[in-house]
Amino acid sequence: MAKILGIDLGTTNSAMAIVEAGQPRVLENSEGNRTTPSVVALSKADERLVGLLAKRQSITNPKNTLYSIKRLVGRKFPDAEVQADKKWLPYDIQASAAGGVDVKMGDNWFKPEEISAMVLAKLKADAEARLGEKIDEAIITVPAYFDDSQRQATKDAGEIAGFKVRRIINEPTAAALAYGLDKQKNEKIAVYDFGGGTFDVSVLEVGDNTVEVKATGGDTHLGGDDFDKRIIEYLVAEYKKQEGIDITKDPLAMQRLKEAVERAKHELSTSLETELNIPYISADASGPKHFLIKLTRAKLENLVRDFIDRSIEITNQVIKEAHFKPGEINEIVLVGGQTRMPAIQEAVKKTFGKDPHRDINPDEVVAMGAAIQAGILQGDVKDILLLDVTPLSLGIETLGGVFTRLIEKNTTVPTAKTQVFSTAADNQTSVEIHVLQGERAMAADNKTLARFILDGIPPAPRGIPQVEVTFDIDANGILSVAAKDKTTNKSQSVKIEASTNLSKEEIEKLKNEAAQHAAEDRLKRELIEERNQAESLIYTSEKSLREAGDKVPEDVRKSVNEKIENLKKALGGNDAEAIKSAASELSGELSRIGQYFHQQPDSASASA
Amino acid sequence: MAEDQKKEESVEKEPKKEATTPAINELEELRKKADEYLDGWKRTKADFINYKKDELKRLEEIAKFAGEALIIELLTVLDSFDLALAAFGESDSDKNREKGIYLIKSKLENLLKKYGLGKIVIKVGDRFDPAVHEGIATVEPAGAQEAGKVAEEVEAGYRLHGKLIRPAKVKIFKQ
Repeated sequence: MAKILGIDLGTTNSAMAIVEAGQPRVLENSEGNRTTPSVVALSKADERLVGLLAKRQSITNPKNTLYSIKRLVGRKFPDAEVQADKKWLPYDIQASAAGGVDVKMGDNWFKPEEISAMVLAKLKADAEARLGEKIDEAIITVPAYFDDSQRQATKDAGEIAGFKVRRIINEPTAAALAYGLDKQKNEKIAVYDFGGGTFDVSVLEVGDNTVEVKATGGDTHLGGDDFDKRIIEYLVAEYKKQEGIDITKDPLAMQRLKEAVERAKHELSTSLETELNIPYISADASGPKHFLIKLTRAKLENLVRDFIDRSIEITNQVIKEAHFKPGEINEIVLVGGQTRMPAIQEAVKKTFGKDPHRDINPDEVVAMGAAIQAGILQGDVKDILLLDVTPLSLGIETLGGVFTRLIEKNTTVPTAKTQVFSTAADNQTSVEIHVLQGERAMAADNKTLARFILDGIPPAPRGIPQVEVTFDIDANGILSVAAKDKTTNKSQSVKIEASTNLSKEEIEKLKNEAAQHAAEDRLKRELIEERNQAESLIYTSEKSLREAGDKVPEDVRKSVNEKIENLKKALGGNDAEAIKSAASELSGELSRIGQYFHQQPDSASASA
Repeated sequence: MAEDQKKEESVEKEPKKEATTPAINELEELRKKADEYLDGWKRTKADFINYKKDELKRLEEIAKFAGEALIIELLTVLDSFDLALAAFGESDSDKNREKGIYLIKSKLENLLKKYGLGKIVIKVGDRFDPAVHEGIATVEPAGAQEAGKVAEEVEAGYRLHGKLIRPAKVKIFKQ
């Protein structure tokens, strides 16, 4: 069935995603990148360029490189926004016959949606090449504040590009979809979107399968680029203080500085300080000049504090317009690369009093959400095919009271897993299958779901019988556990209904407990493993001595028995190290017996 | 008499139209469902197999380009060496220092070549190609025929295993 493409058509960058086997996946463009600059140009060689290629000649061909077209799409020429942008956009714009905006590229005038269509057409072609199939339908996202005219123009852009536009959805709604927040009931969600050139904040309310935009606001000229500019200004001033040189006069130097600043800004999201080291940044009569200035995270935060404060001010305003209080917001979603900055995450957390969702790549969240919407429309998420996961691990109790997992938590069901176990003692004719659920290392700390016994196992030395244990969870979450003795084919099983009737909170609590006890559980488990191995070793040693009989000289026998006694003593205590060293000593002694096995006793070798 | 009988027989032998009972309808429904489910199952199995094949390709890509992020950052070091070499003067003492820096740069370059790095070759007068060039400034042309062509390489561009990882920064002749 043909796929529907989810597209985030951004002011600076665009991204696309599709749903595959129920999961959204961002598609790379033909250059191998997950985002595509929303730039179109007519090169000096009269070639039409789109995306990264268009961006690469934007400096040398400013008049014919069209970017930020989203600011003009669906607007009327006299709009305050358009008039303000006209002042700094390097390409020509004018009023169209219908009162809209026309933009010039080369010798021709285009409608903004025709330009956006070129970006969309590239995405379409690249997606078709990646997937090896035709894509005729798309979902395109728009800011929540877009009016009818802007939405229609965006839809037109899609159709010009060759898509049937199934839906135009709001960017904050798409972001909420990406995190699955549309499945909640009566929740209030805030989406904080700090991109490269624009800041948008929206408050949504999720009801019965509906997502409603309660209020929206932002600043169309506040973005990560402003952060970069601020940092550059500061560094240029610092450098002038240090070296007495004004590098703004050197465009190449400014280029190098700009790139270094972008890198430094990213680094400061994970480090507390970084160094801008640009050797040979410039030169004058006295020789080459170098640039070396340290930048700390604290300094960066100071430089852009007013930008962050402004975004929070707007956020508070929007919450008020929605008639809510910040504390009433249930979920917060972060969108846009700039939200990677710790200071922004802290400011958002402080405003709402809770942690925002930021697991999904903030540059890709909106495209993922658009893909999920596409998946829903496409029926990729048929109700009967909605699969669950088992929230907690399932397994049995094994020697020493250890919990041995057969099915890991978060495994998609239906599923089945089989493992072969054996007996712990000689001539053990039955095994008890103790079925458990939980995350702790020791069986006693987990929840018992069932117990049953498989008997009739033919007597054999320990470790020899093969008991196949199978855990099977069907699509309804009903767990069946079966144990089968492979020799006799005798089997026993048990069915457990509602093995997952714990609430979300209870499950989280259990997982947290497991994490807290992880270290001590691990030690307990290691101790048990040492014990098991030691007991096994004693068993083997005593058996070997018995079988070797007279072949083993008395002094060797004595030495081995001594080591066995030492190990038995160590097993009386709880020191894993002591057990381990006693065991390796015994192991060493044991290997000496090996040579006696292959010798014939003197009496037998004598011929009759 | 015999003919009449025959007629009657043939009339009787006309197959009666089968009445559709609820049971038969249900059977048809279930048959359809069964077909749909089997088809869905086969598709999912096929998707899984295809996913595994794609995964293998992805893993190969990752192995090949594992060092890409590191190498891209190392390019800035190579850039600094290029600039340093360009700054050397003509005196003899300079020549030796220059050689030293050149050798360090060479060492780094050869190391990176081992890992698949290749430099993009730029000549003055090359056609500007945004697939491998990034224009960062314009300069006055000497003659009309040079308009729009590459005037100077400002920063080297590189490929890794044939894939462009950084375009070359160039100045181009004004139109």
